[in-house]
Amino acid sequence: MPYFDYKNFIPKSVAWFVAALLILLPLFTRNSITLSIFISSGVWAIAVMGFTLILRTGQFSMGQAAFMALGAYATAIFTLQSGIPFWPGFLLAGIVSGIIALLIGLVVLRVGGIYFSIITLALAEIIRIIAERWESVTHGVRGLRPPLPPTISLGGLEINFATSAIPYYYFMIILVVITGIVFWRLEHSRIGGTFSSMAANQILAEHQGIHLMKYRVIAFTVAGIFAGYAGAYYASFLSIITPQMFGLWQSIQIMMMSIVGGISSIVSGALIGATILYTLSIYLSRLPIYNIQYLLFGAAVVLVLLFLPKGTGLVDLWGKFWRKVFREPEEYEIPEDSEMATE
Amino acid sequence: MPPAEIWIDGLIQSCIYMTMAFGMVLVFSILGILNWTHGQFYMLGAFVVYYAVSSWGIPFPISLIISGIVIAGLGMMVEKFVIERLTAPGYGMLYVTAATLALIFFFEGAAGMAFGLDDKGLAMVLPGVLDLGSFSISYQKIAVIAFTLVIMITMYIVLNRTRMGLAIRAAAQEPIAASLYGINVKRVSLIVMGIGCGLAAMAGSIMAPVLYVNPFIGRVPMIFSLLAIVIGGLGSLTGAIVGAIILGFLNSVIAYHVSYLSEAVLFVLVVAILLIRPQGLFGAPIK
Repeated sequence: MPYFDYKNFIPKSVAWFVAALLILLPLFTRNSITLSIFISSGVWAIAVMGFTLILRTGQFSMGQAAFMALGAYATAIFTLQSGIPFWPGFLLAGIVSGIIALLIGLVVLRVGGIYFSIITLALAEIIRIIAERWESVTHGVRGLRPPLPPTISLGGLEINFATSAIPYYYFMIILVVITGIVFWRLEHSRIGGTFSSMAANQILAEHQGIHLMKYRVIAFTVAGIFAGYAGAYYASFLSIITPQMFGLWQSIQIMMMSIVGGISSIVSGALIGATILYTLSIYLSRLPIYNIQYLLFGAAVVLVLLFLPKGTGLVDLWGKFWRKVFREPEEYEIPEDSEMATE
Repeated sequence: MPPAEIWIDGLIQSCIYMTMAFGMVLVFSILGILNWTHGQFYMLGAFVVYYAVSSWGIPFPISLIISGIVIAGLGMMVEKFVIERLTAPGYGMLYVTAATLALIFFFEGAAGMAFGLDDKGLAMVLPGVLDLGSFSISYQKIAVIAFTLVIMITMYIVLNRTRMGLAIRAAAQEPIAASLYGINVKRVSLIVMGIGCGLAAMAGSIMAPVLYVNPFIGRVPMIFSLLAIVIGGLGSLTGAIVGAIILGFLNSVIAYHVSYLSEAVLFVLVVAILLIRPQGLFGAPIK
């Protein structure tokens, strides 16, 4: 009788079951608010994956939301002003934000650590200010109205983005799955190992012949590309772009999502962190007392950080939970003193 | 050449960023973290003074000191219950960074809930204008400058002439060696956090009559003092002061010359300074 590895099979099948439920979600609810919560969580998850990837190389980017803004504005401006159709315009979003990330990265990534964080913060603010003041193109704080994706007809099936949130929901799932696959492959390939070695010990990695700059630029560019797509998608979904949508506070939110979700796994940590924190902030904002949501949101994040085991995020609770269920001993963890940014 | 008012405005901004940046660098040099909540202590300090003066009728100078002490206590609580636990060995800098970032939302939410979101103006506590022929300066602004001078001189004396200052400098240089010589480094960190937050609160308080008070006033001074620290060189007190002066004057002079996109020009300059001299003006070279 072949050995049946139930300890591996059961957690995996539960995870697949949850994924299947998420794909079939529109069958159970057509409530546009519920769908939009999942859609927005997916958008933030994509940005968070990029942030975590940069973090894996030991750098702490404080301007991820700015790349979302770049992507969003790129699509909207190209489709509105040069009259190219929506889908090529959408593809351009990632290309534009990726190229800008590459150029910025080539210049800025020479300085590491806290200086990199501050420079990305300053660049994000510059992008926001330009978006606010360049009235003729971006319409300033009033915002642009990006075009909707055109209606697609597949045989007898009409996919109309204007009438319901369901096409957007599937569009988001496709986007998250593609991004997830790319980041998963990156994480579990040789290049992912290189990233981790850079985060663990920069000097040793450099002495092993790793060109630090090259890998930092790769991570920064990949993160920029996908943040651009997330931004373009989000703007199209909300059908408005304003500079305030992608400001410093959104970058800070991305960081908190990444760290609360857990950085031990790029894809699932980002998905869990973004979904939980975004849903939390939406439900908190429904509370009757004005402004209490910020207080509770901050408190929740601090409490999660205080009461999770050392150096883990929410995603690590999954493995812990199954080890409890199967009564396995806890894994011994080698204490890590990695040189993560801000030091 | 900009008129004198622009230079005075630059001086006022420099003073505020200087007081804030000084506290942040002090905290950084002992605790090894950047306290992202610093701007919110500035905001809470302004609120304490606003309520002390307008509701309880406490004289402004006394309420300034009260606000410093109250917020210093709050900062110590944050250090004790959040920062100390998250800087324990094995955590890495990420978690304490995320926690102090989350505290921004916490304090802004708390202030918005308790005090409301509207702008509150504190009546001039020092009315009157000093006329100096070609230009004039209000007594309130003179008070800001004088206050900053007093703070800087006091901090110089505390750091260089007292036993506490000696302990702080020792702990900043070599925490382990300092603790071997009988310095309680945990207590030093607590005190330094208190001093830093108290300075931020007093900066907010002294600016409250000049500007206005709302839950979000802490954000801009926070970012600017952060930039000042980084320009000056992280971990250098002189650097923080020089960085704040550069940034304060640059901000007001650039705004005078290019009103359109002035902040963008400022940020470009900061990026340029960091690219030319990544370690800042007074920092030790990286590697």
